[in-house]
Amino acid sequence: MYTPQKDDFEFISGREIEIDENFSSQGYWTGVAVHFFKNKFAVTGVILVVGIMLFAIFAPPASSYEYDQIISVVDANGSEIVAKSLPPQFSGSDVQNRFADKTFIFGTDDMGRDLWTRTWHGARISLIIAFVAIFIDMLIGTSYGLISGFFGGTVDNVMQRFIEIAGSIPTLVIISILAIFMEKGIGLVIASLLITEWIGMSKIARAECLKLKEREYVLASRTLGAGSFHQIFLQILPNTIGPIITQVMFSIPVAIFTEAFLSFVGVGIVLPQCSIGSLIEAGFGNITILPYQILPPICVLAILMLGFNLIGDGLREALAPKLEDM
Amino acid sequence: MKKFLMTALLLVTMIFTGCGGGNDSAGNGKFSAMLNSNVISIDSAQCSDASSFELITDCIDGLMQLDSNGKPIPALAESVDVSEDGKTYTFHLRDAKWSNGDPVTANDFVFAWRRHCQKSGNYAYIMGDTVACVKNAEAVIKGGDPTTLGVTAKDEKTLVVELNAPVPFFLSLMVFPTFYPINEKFYNSLEEGSYGTSPETFLSNGAFVLTNYLPGAANIQLKKNDSYWNAANISLDGFQYQVVTSSDNALISFKNGTLNLVELGGNQVEHVKQDAELSKNLQTFGTGDLTYLSFNQDPKNHHAGALSNVNLRLAISNAVDRESLVNNFVMSGAKATYTAIPVDFAPNAEDGKFFSADQKRYSDVVSFDVAKAKKYLETAKTELGKDGFDLQLIYANDSGDTSVKVVQAIKSQIEANLPGVTINLQPMPKAEYLKDVTSNNYDLAVVDWVPDYDDPMTFFTLWTTAGCEIAEHWSNAEYDKIISDCTTGSLAADYSARWNALYDAEKILLDNAVISPLYTGSGAFLISPNVTGMEFHVAGVSRVFKNVKIK
Amino acid sequence: MSLLTLFAIVFVLFVLIRIVPGDPFSVERMSAEMILQKREELGLNKPVLVQFVDYLSLLASGSFGNGTALYNGAPIKPILTACLWNSFKVGVLSILFGTIVGLTIGIVAALNRGKILDGLCTLVSILGVCIPSYVSMIFLQYFFAYKIPFFPYFFDPSNFFGSAIMPALSLSLFAVSTIARFTRNEMVEVLNSDYVKLAEAKGLYGFELVRRHVLRNALIPVVTVIAPLVVDLLTGAMVIEKIYGINGVGKLMVDAIAGQGVDYNYVLALGIVFSALYIGVMLVLDILYGIIDPRIRLTTKEG
Repeated sequence: MYTPQKDDFEFISGREIEIDENFSSQGYWTGVAVHFFKNKFAVTGVILVVGIMLFAIFAPPASSYEYDQIISVVDANGSEIVAKSLPPQFSGSDVQNRFADKTFIFGTDDMGRDLWTRTWHGARISLIIAFVAIFIDMLIGTSYGLISGFFGGTVDNVMQRFIEIAGSIPTLVIISILAIFMEKGIGLVIASLLITEWIGMSKIARAECLKLKEREYVLASRTLGAGSFHQIFLQILPNTIGPIITQVMFSIPVAIFTEAFLSFVGVGIVLPQCSIGSLIEAGFGNITILPYQILPPICVLAILMLGFNLIGDGLREALAPKLEDM
Repeated sequence: MKKFLMTALLLVTMIFTGCGGGNDSAGNGKFSAMLNSNVISIDSAQCSDASSFELITDCIDGLMQLDSNGKPIPALAESVDVSEDGKTYTFHLRDAKWSNGDPVTANDFVFAWRRHCQKSGNYAYIMGDTVACVKNAEAVIKGGDPTTLGVTAKDEKTLVVELNAPVPFFLSLMVFPTFYPINEKFYNSLEEGSYGTSPETFLSNGAFVLTNYLPGAANIQLKKNDSYWNAANISLDGFQYQVVTSSDNALISFKNGTLNLVELGGNQVEHVKQDAELSKNLQTFGTGDLTYLSFNQDPKNHHAGALSNVNLRLAISNAVDRESLVNNFVMSGAKATYTAIPVDFAPNAEDGKFFSADQKRYSDVVSFDVAKAKKYLETAKTELGKDGFDLQLIYANDSGDTSVKVVQAIKSQIEANLPGVTINLQPMPKAEYLKDVTSNNYDLAVVDWVPDYDDPMTFFTLWTTAGCEIAEHWSNAEYDKIISDCTTGSLAADYSARWNALYDAEKILLDNAVISPLYTGSGAFLISPNVTGMEFHVAGVSRVFKNVKIK
Repeated sequence: MSLLTLFAIVFVLFVLIRIVPGDPFSVERMSAEMILQKREELGLNKPVLVQFVDYLSLLASGSFGNGTALYNGAPIKPILTACLWNSFKVGVLSILFGTIVGLTIGIVAALNRGKILDGLCTLVSILGVCIPSYVSMIFLQYFFAYKIPFFPYFFDPSNFFGSAIMPALSLSLFAVSTIARFTRNEMVEVLNSDYVKLAEAKGLYGFELVRRHVLRNALIPVVTVIAPLVVDLLTGAMVIEKIYGINGVGKLMVDAIAGQGVDYNYVLALGIVFSALYIGVMLVLDILYGIIDPRIRLTTKEG
């Protein structure tokens, strides 16, 4: 019988070695990342969202106007003329008005303010609201769901009944009760997002928790005497992060949307402060005669919605890859 | 699969074609008018908004009505006898019927007036001593015996009204819905609180009857009242109201013929002016309402306080460019105003000149002069020992976008012209705003006051110590004396002396910068060319549809 | 169970509204004594629980009481009923529309997956999700009621069907895109399943195959999406009723919050009605599940 010797084998050189990525050994998150970035749609989503964020961060300070600055000149008679409702224009182009030397990329609104600055400032406010609200929602919802799922029994029962009741009261009713005693503005918007958005988050956390708490590693740490807190937040929580982040990606557009809606019905942002929603609301009043005023905020909103949805879809697929996708 | 698809498509097309029939809501001989806010209530004792007053006027006639020039002429009253001293009015009613067939009697007026004082609704004050001076009205409003009210039915058709003082404009007051009758028997047959909540719970004696109505309705339909005493002169078979809150929507619905009468906002007016065809239909009417900046002068006010300093108020008043406000932001034909009484309002009965014809009368205290404003501000700063003022400006954000634009412009102007003054905008729904304004819970407020009757007094009573509505928390004995002399006192009977005394009162008001007048409002309407006979009035109910004809 | 939840909701809403700071009526020109008197009249000085029992007996007598601020305290029930009826009609039309069109688009896309038709359907559903419905409503109104004046511009109660189409159509846009997307994805999954392949192998094809094997299985998750959409209609209704001038619950809600100050009793009544509606929809959904998938009924019985 011949025993193979070391010399019998040689490396194939001059040819690229193919390693099957899908089955190669890699960390969980690396795998997710590889999978995510192979998804063209998800990458598009990231580009869109990051692009808008960059504009929201850098465009307002770089602009030559303040978001609430009313641009005007004084004519020969001493009366003030405001640069209101000007369509998009660039300085030096052949524009027949008193503001021909100024650049308004998106035009100006009916108060004579630069829409370019306002749009990006509004995007910034909307994003801040969405991130703050959803981050707190994530904390509340996840803790609630994990605690409910982990303890089970009566605790779970009571907590789930509470969710059932809270979930059956329509968002609008809750907002209207809030509106009774809260001042209108960013606070009210965030509060209403806080109260309504955590339920979905907690449901997902609970489902994950139910699945994970019977796993061997949790059992092991329980046997070794770990307390409930330790098990919930150090053992189970890290493994629920994937689905929760996916949920966050779907919640952020909902939050932006809700903010836009609240501002649209008049309980949102207080002027001259602006958000995407309040800009849409302002443009809405003149949509047929000055349509260019509503287009920029709508486009920003649509791009953000699309971007976050694409990222969410991509994440979901990357976290739970199906065989056929590989 | 094909079969399934076909069924689905068929269903969709069925929904489309089967139901897409009629498309004739207006245009062909029908009249549809726009209302810019909901009708809150058609109970004349409770409503307080223009839309509600207008709808009541369509359905109920009062003792008097206005002719096309704004002069009061008899309506339900066939004739009026005024006593020598001007304190007793005797109205002889004509034969008119309620829409259920009952005759309109003097008792219907007595019932309505007493009920109104008892309910002490928003407009009950108009019966009282600051306006109509009906005898004992003040006492009844405060809870006295309603039968003591100075209005009696001498017989079925004779109504006697006793006043505390001669009121020169009493007859034009009778046009106002507050003084309209209510059928007592019908009212008592209804469930508590349900009067005027549907066409069934409301009776007309006027030109139209309701066919479709609900409180807050978006669409209200009326038809001609055949039992109206003047039915022969009513040409409309009926018409409808559509509540439209967006001025853009209004413009489009006019363009496609859905509505024959719409009211436009500033941006739309600008747009229409550039359109040769449309601009022919554009009409603007002075509405006689004064928009002014109200200063809360309560020294105890925790966040204002500073506004009790007259120099700070003067500084703010002189830092506002009213012309720019009107030309750049309001745009619907409003006029910059430098007097406490709006322009083109309250003509003198003797020479016909408007009360505020001279806009320069108080130019030393009300003007746009940044240098002067800065000087006032410096004085205020040293007097108060403060270097910055953080003021809150409240406004109603649900009554059109004009006020929203105006407050932003004011904020920007004041902050640019008065370094150290910061204005924080605080929008709120109208009801909440009224609550804050009447309960002294504000620093600055943009107030839009619509005159109730065609006399300067409708404004002057606002600023007396007992001031009925918006309380600036300002009190001046001399001013109070002039006003009380002019209403119930020595000057009430002497027209020209009263008129001159009112100028003195206005001077006190503006020297102290109790308010800062901004502009006199105006309504811009698009009216279909086939509509004639629309009447617009400055005071009271501003639009009247009785005489509308469609060609 | 549902009734119990409803009861709990009524309780929670009632207590919330009663303990919220502020006065339930506008105090425009009201003296302190008048406010006290009014509070007495409305029974606001009693303990909250006593008030709750009072309110329950009021509800039991089939009334919602009178408003506290809105429309000068007119009785709520007739107004609420009229508004509900208007919204209901438009809502049902839009759900019908949304479901039919959404399902059709989804099915067509799934059957043509990977082809141009599929791409088009995906585009439609992406647009529907990304563009706020009130924006697309405006464009719809602009084009189909103004540029091509085929439909009346405003809602007209006397010409219900003609004038309800536009609002219903606009209202259903979001539903169409969501349902289409879900139907497509579920259908694709089911079409790839072994039992469908088996059925195909047995010679079943076309409409029969879809009806017998695919649709039923694909519908279960779709029904789950429809339920929240029904409730979401409310949000859309607030805008649509404002734009088209419909006297509906959405408009009533806006008025109750911002009309003449917050009207506590209207908010309460509307809250109860909406919650009841939501619970009702969920109940119907459970029953629907049972009809579409008998297995679910079986398991719930056993469990």
